[in-house]
Amino acid sequence: MDKKQYTNFGIWGIFILLMGFVVPVFFPAYRVILVTEAIIFSLFAISYNLLLGYAGLLSFGHAMFFGTGAYVTAIALGHIEGLPILGAVFIAILATTATGFIIGSLLLRHKGSYFALLTLAFNALFYVIATKWHSITGGDDGLSVTRPDLSLGFTTLNMSDITTFYYFTLIIVGLAILFCWYFTKTAMGRTVLLIRENEERMKFLGYNTNISRLYLFTFTGALAGFAGSFYALFFQFTSITAISIDMGTAALLMAFIGGTGTFIGPILGAFVYIFLQDFLSDFTDRWPLIMGLIFILMVLYIPGGLSGLFLSIKERLSGRRAATGQTETEGQNR
Amino acid sequence: MKQAKNILEVRNIHKDFSGLQVLTGVDFTVAENEKHAVIGPNGAGKTTLFNIITGNYKPSSGKIIFKETDVTGKPPHILTRMNMSRSFQITNVFPEMSVFENVRAGVRSRQGLRYNFLKRPERVAGINQKTEDILEQVGLTDVMSEPVSALSYGRQRALEIGITLSTEPELILLDEPTAGMTREETAEAIRMINEVTTGRTLIIIEHDMDVVFSLADTISVLHYGTILASDKPDEIRNDQKVKDAYLGEE
Ligand SMILES: Nc1ncnc2c1ncn2[C@@H]1O[C@H](COP(=O)(O)OP(=O)(O)OP(=O)(O)O)[C@@H](O)[C@H]1O
Ligand SMILES: [Mg+2]
Repeated sequence: MDKKQYTNFGIWGIFILLMGFVVPVFFPAYRVILVTEAIIFSLFAISYNLLLGYAGLLSFGHAMFFGTGAYVTAIALGHIEGLPILGAVFIAILATTATGFIIGSLLLRHKGSYFALLTLAFNALFYVIATKWHSITGGDDGLSVTRPDLSLGFTTLNMSDITTFYYFTLIIVGLAILFCWYFTKTAMGRTVLLIRENEERMKFLGYNTNISRLYLFTFTGALAGFAGSFYALFFQFTSITAISIDMGTAALLMAFIGGTGTFIGPILGAFVYIFLQDFLSDFTDRWPLIMGLIFILMVLYIPGGLSGLFLSIKERLSGRRAATGQTETEGQNR
Repeated sequence: MKQAKNILEVRNIHKDFSGLQVLTGVDFTVAENEKHAVIGPNGAGKTTLFNIITGNYKPSSGKIIFKETDVTGKPPHILTRMNMSRSFQITNVFPEMSVFENVRAGVRSRQGLRYNFLKRPERVAGINQKTEDILEQVGLTDVMSEPVSALSYGRQRALEIGITLSTEPELILLDEPTAGMTREETAEAIRMINEVTTGRTLIIIEHDMDVVFSLADTISVLHYGTILASDKPDEIRNDQKVKDAYLGEE
C-alpha cells in the first residue's frame, strides 16, 4: 500500500517537474512570471498546511514568518555588500527558524482557539513593528530589493532575466517542496499525524507532544520564511503586505481551495489562487470579494478542496468506495 | 519465602475532583514480576488510581514510588520512558492509521525515533521486525495493513494491548482489558495476557472474578476510596471485610 503511494507520487512528481521545465518554452513571459509566483506561494501554502492539515493547528499568523523572511532578505541584500542570492535566502531561513522557535516556545502549551488567537496577536505585533520601525523596514514605503546574479564559478546567471529566475525558483523552491513531501514520510512527519489523531495516547507512548508541536512550528516557520525570501526576490520589493494578516489568510485560502487532506492540495490551491486572482483583477478591483465567495462555497460544499474532490471522483469511478472506513478527504494525509 | 523487590509503591494517595473525594488514602505495593489485580465496585476509583500512577492526573496528596524513584507528578511520557505502560478501559488507539502504524509508534519511540526529520521509520533496522513480533503476539498479523476503524471490537481490544506492549514495559497496567468481550474472546485474551506478561510486572483491573482468581498472585480490593485488603487470592477469598463489602454479594 505504501509502495503504491510512492510510485503514484513519483509519476506525478516527474510529470509536474517535466511540465515545470517546459513552461518557458510554450508560454509567454507574462505567464512564466505568474507560474514563478505560484511556485513560491505553493511552498508557503504547503508550509501552512503542515500546520493545518497535518497537525490540525489553525494559525492566523503564518505571515509573520513569510514577512520576516521577505524583510530579512531585503535588509540583508541592502546592507551586506556582495551577498550572493542564496546567501540572502539562507540568512532569511536562519532568522525565521529562530523566530519560529521563540514564538513557538510561547505558544507551546496552547491548542485550538487559544492557539489561533495567539498567532493572530503575534502577527499583529509583527505588523506594527514592520510599520513603525521605519529606519530598518522602510515603514509604509517598503524596501526595494536588487536580485544579485548567481555565480556558478564557470558562468554567471543573469537573475533579472525572467526565464533564468524562473528556473532558479523552480529548482530551489522545488527542492524545498520535495523535502516537505519527504518530511511527511519521516519519523517526525508520522509523529505529527499521530498526535493530531490521538495526543493522549502519544504521551503514553513516550512522546512529548508539546516539544513535537514546537519543532513542527519552527520548521513551518522556516519554510514560510524560505517562501517569503523568494517573494522578496520575485517582486524585487518588500512591503508591509508581506507581513500582514491578509498574507496568512491567503495561505489558508490556498490550502483550503486545494484541499488540506492531501500533500498536493496546497500546490493546486496556490496555482488556482494566483491565476484566478490575475484573471479576476483584469475585470474588477473587487476581486478579493469574489475570492472570498469562492472560499465560502468551497468550505460549505467541497470541504475536501479540489484534491479531495478529485480523489472522491477517482474512487467513485474505480468503484473502490471508502469501504475500509477511511473518510474520503479528511485524514488522507497518511 | 522470596522477598522480591518492590517495583511500585503507592503511598497514602488522595484524590478529589473539585470536592468529590474519590481516593482517600490508598496504600499498596507491587513486587517485581507480580501479577497484581485491583478489584472493586463500579466507581470505586480504580481507573482514577491508574491515572495517578501513570502520571495522567496529579494526586491531591501522597506519593508514587516507581523503581525506587519518587515519580509523583511526573508526566506520562517520562514514566513511559522509564518502562511503565498502560492500556485504557475505553479503547484508545489511532483509528485512521493502519494497525501496523499504531504499534510501530510505540516501537520507534522506545528506540528514540520520535522527532527525527530525516529518518523514515521503515528504514531503521529492527523497527519493522519488532512491530511484527508484537502483532504476532496479540494475534493481529493478518490485519496489520488495515485501518484500525475496520477492525471488530474484540480485535481493537487486542490492539489496545499490542500498543501497550509496544514500548517494551517492565510494569504493565491493564484497565479492564476484557471489558465488552464475549466469553470465548475473554478466555483467549486472558491466555494472551498471561503469555505476554511473563517476566514482567502486571497490574490488572478486572471485574470477572474467575479471571482474577486464576491470574493474580496478589489482589487489592478498592472500596470507598481506600484499599480494604491487599493479599494473596486465598486470603482475600476468606477475608471477612472483603466478603461483607464486595464478594459476599455474589
Ligand atoms: N476527571 C474526572 N473529573 C471528575 N470526576 C471524575 C473524574 N474521573 C473520575 N471521576 C469520578 O471518580 C469516581 C471514580 O471513577 P473511576 O473511573 O476511577 O471508577 P472505576 O473504579 O474505574 O469505575 P468502573 O469500574 O466503572 O470503571 C466516579 O464517581 C467518577 O465520576
Ligand atoms: Mg474504570
